[in-house]
Amino acid sequence: MTLRRYLPHYLMIAPFMVLFAAFFLYPILSGLYYSFHDWNGVKTPEFVGLTNYQKILASRDFSTAMTNLLWYISITVPLGILVALGLALLVDSFTGRWANFFRNAYFLPVVLPAFLAATIWRWIYAPNFGLLNMILGWFGVPSVNFLNDTDTMLYALIAVDVWVSAGFNMVILLAGLKNIPGELYEAARLDGASKWQQIIHITIPMLGPVLFFVFTYGFISAMQVFDKPWLLTGSSFTSYGGRRNALLFPVMDMMGRGFGEVKFGEAAAYGFLLTITIVAVTALMFGLRAWRERK
Amino acid sequence: MKRITRLRAGIAGAAALIVGTAGMAEAQNVTLEYWVYSDFAQGEALALQQEFIKEFTEAHPGVTINITGKGDDDLTAGQVAGAASGNLPDVFMNAQSVGAQLVEVGALANIYEKWMAMPQEFRDQFDEDALASCMPRPEELYCIPYTGFGSLLFRNLTVLEQAGIDPSVPPATWDEWFAQMQKVKDAGLYAIPDETLVFNSIAEIYATSGSSETWGFNWDDRTTRIDPAIMAKVLQKFVDMAPLTSGTSRNDQATKDLFISNQLAFHTVGPWVNPTYEEAAKTSGLKYDFVLIPGDEPGKTGGIRSYEIVGVAPGPNMDIAFEFATYITEKQQMVRWAKLLSRYNANAAAMADPEVSDLPLIKVSVEAARGAMEVAAPYFIDSVPSCYNSTVIDYASATADGEYTPEEGAQEMIAELNSCLAE
Repeated sequence: MTLRRYLPHYLMIAPFMVLFAAFFLYPILSGLYYSFHDWNGVKTPEFVGLTNYQKILASRDFSTAMTNLLWYISITVPLGILVALGLALLVDSFTGRWANFFRNAYFLPVVLPAFLAATIWRWIYAPNFGLLNMILGWFGVPSVNFLNDTDTMLYALIAVDVWVSAGFNMVILLAGLKNIPGELYEAARLDGASKWQQIIHITIPMLGPVLFFVFTYGFISAMQVFDKPWLLTGSSFTSYGGRRNALLFPVMDMMGRGFGEVKFGEAAAYGFLLTITIVAVTALMFGLRAWRERK
Repeated sequence: MKRITRLRAGIAGAAALIVGTAGMAEAQNVTLEYWVYSDFAQGEALALQQEFIKEFTEAHPGVTINITGKGDDDLTAGQVAGAASGNLPDVFMNAQSVGAQLVEVGALANIYEKWMAMPQEFRDQFDEDALASCMPRPEELYCIPYTGFGSLLFRNLTVLEQAGIDPSVPPATWDEWFAQMQKVKDAGLYAIPDETLVFNSIAEIYATSGSSETWGFNWDDRTTRIDPAIMAKVLQKFVDMAPLTSGTSRNDQATKDLFISNQLAFHTVGPWVNPTYEEAAKTSGLKYDFVLIPGDEPGKTGGIRSYEIVGVAPGPNMDIAFEFATYITEKQQMVRWAKLLSRYNANAAAMADPEVSDLPLIKVSVEAARGAMEVAAPYFIDSVPSCYNSTVIDYASATADGEYTPEEGAQEMIAELNSCLAE
C-alpha cells in the first residue's frame, strides 16, 4: 500500500538516483576497493590490505605535500577572503556603470583558462626582466627568482591563487552585501557609527552565513589545489612539484603515482586519505559553527 | 650509383608494402582511432597527416581513420586510462620515455613478429639505434620510431656581434663556448637560459662531458648510470654558468622572447623552436643560426636525442593498425614530412634522401642526433619514478646556487637517485 502510494515519487527521483549511483557511488566504492589492492589499471587487482595507505603515509613526498598544503591553506584561504571582502565592499560602494565595470574586471581572472593565467604569471615572475622584478628593480631590490627560489615559491603561488579566486568570492560576498537591509546602516549612521564600525558590527555579522560558505568552499578547493602549481612549475607526469618539491601538493602527488608510475591502487588510497581529511575538517567547521550558534 | 641503389630500395620497399597490404585491401568496415601530439593535428602538419590517411584509406576500402591531437600528459593519461577501460586508440604517438608505463598497462602490443614479417627493404630504412631503443629484450618490439630530435645550439648572431664574437666560427669545444658566454655577459646581455631548471637541459650539458653509457638506468640492480666524476665536472659547469644566465628555463616563453628581442645569445633546445625563430627572422629581422652543442673535446658534441614513437594497441584492429603505422613511417611519407617541416625523423633512408638531406635543419639535426646522448635509456623496461628527475634538478640547481660543492652535489645526487630507484 505504502509502496503503491509513494511509487510515483520514487520514480520521479529514480533518474537522479541512477545517475548518482553510476557516476558518484560506483566510482567512490570502486576507488575504495582499489585502495586496498595493488593495481596498475589493467592487471587483476591483488589484495594488499593497508599496504598502500602505509606506503603513502611513510613516503617523504606525502609529508612534503601535506606540509606545503598546510602552509598554503592557512595563508591563501583567509587572505583570499579578506581580499574578496575588500573588493566586494569597494564594488558595493559604486553604482550603475562603474559597479558593473569593476565587478566584471575583478571577475575576469575566474574565467581565464588556467594555462593562460599561468603563462601570464610566469612572465610577471620571470627573473631579471619580468614585470615584478622590473618594478622591484626601481626600488633597488635585486632580482628574485620567484618560481625557483624555495623561499618565495609558495607565496608566488598564493598571489596567483588569490588573484584568481578573489573575483569568485567577491561576487558571492557582493550578493550577501546586497541582502543586508539598508535600514541597519541608516540607524547606525544616525547613532553616529563610523564606516569601520558599520563594517565590524553590521556587515560582517550579517554576512556570517555567506562568509562561512566562502570559507568552506575556499578550504575544500584549496585542499584539492592542482592546476596552478602544476602549470607554474612546468610539471609533467615524470617531474612535478618544482624545485625541492616546494610546490608539491597532494593531488599532484596522487596524479603522479597514478599516471606517472601507473600505481592506481596507491593513487586511490591517496584520494581516500585526502577525502577523509577534507570531510573531517569540514565536519569540524560545521560543528564549530553549530556550537557557536547554540552559544 | 648509390642513388640508383637507394631508389631501387625505395621502390622495392613501396612495392613490398603494397604487396603486403594487398591482402588487407578487400573491404572491411573498420574505424581506427589515431592519436597524435597536438602539434601534429594543426596547420600544415595536420593537412599532411590527413593526406596520409586519405592515401591509406583509399587503398583499404572500408577503413576509416580518425585523427585526434592531444598534449603530452593527455596522451599518456588517455592511453593509460584507455588500457584500463579497454578503449584504447588503435594507433598512437607518445614519447619513448613513457614506453615502460604503456607496456606495463598493456597499451602497447609487441609487434616484433609483424615487424619481422615486413620486407627487409622496409626494415632497413630505419635508424638502427632508434629501432634498438624500441626493443628492450630480444623478440620484443613495442614501437616504430617516428619523429625525433637531437638538441641543437641556437645562436643569436646579433647578440654575438654585439659581444665582439665572430659568429662565422661556431664554438668547437666547451671552453670556447664558455669563453663566448662570458663575453656576452660582459657586453651586458644574457648568455644562456638557466640550464639547471629542466631535466632535459641538465642532460644536454651533461652530454658535453658524458655519454649514453654514463647516463640513464641500470634496471637490473635499479641504480643510476650517472658517473660521479662526470657529474661533478658538469655541476662545476653549472656553477660557472650561474652568473651568465637569464634565470629562465629553456622551455619558458620568456626565453624565446629574450632570444627574439636580441637579449639572449644561446638557446639549447630541440628543433621545434625553429618555426618561431624563423617567423621572427621574417617579421622582426632576427638573425640566428643553429649549430651542434660543443663537447669537452673537438669532435664531441653535447645534447640529447629522443624519438616520438608510433605504437599499436593490442586488439581486433591490430593488424590494420600496424599496417597504417608502417605506412606513415615509411620512407616516402617521412620524406614528405621532413620536407614540409624540416624535422628530423627515425627513417634513416628518408634522412639520406637528396630531397631532404641538404635542408639545413635536417643536416644539423642528423649530425646532432648521431652525437647526442639518449635522454632516459634504456626504454620500455620499467617506469622511472618521479623522484628521479626532480632529484637531478634539485641537486643541479642547489649546487649552482652554492649549497654544495660540485663533488658533494654529485655524490649526494647519485646516492639519492639510487635510493629513489630502489624504492
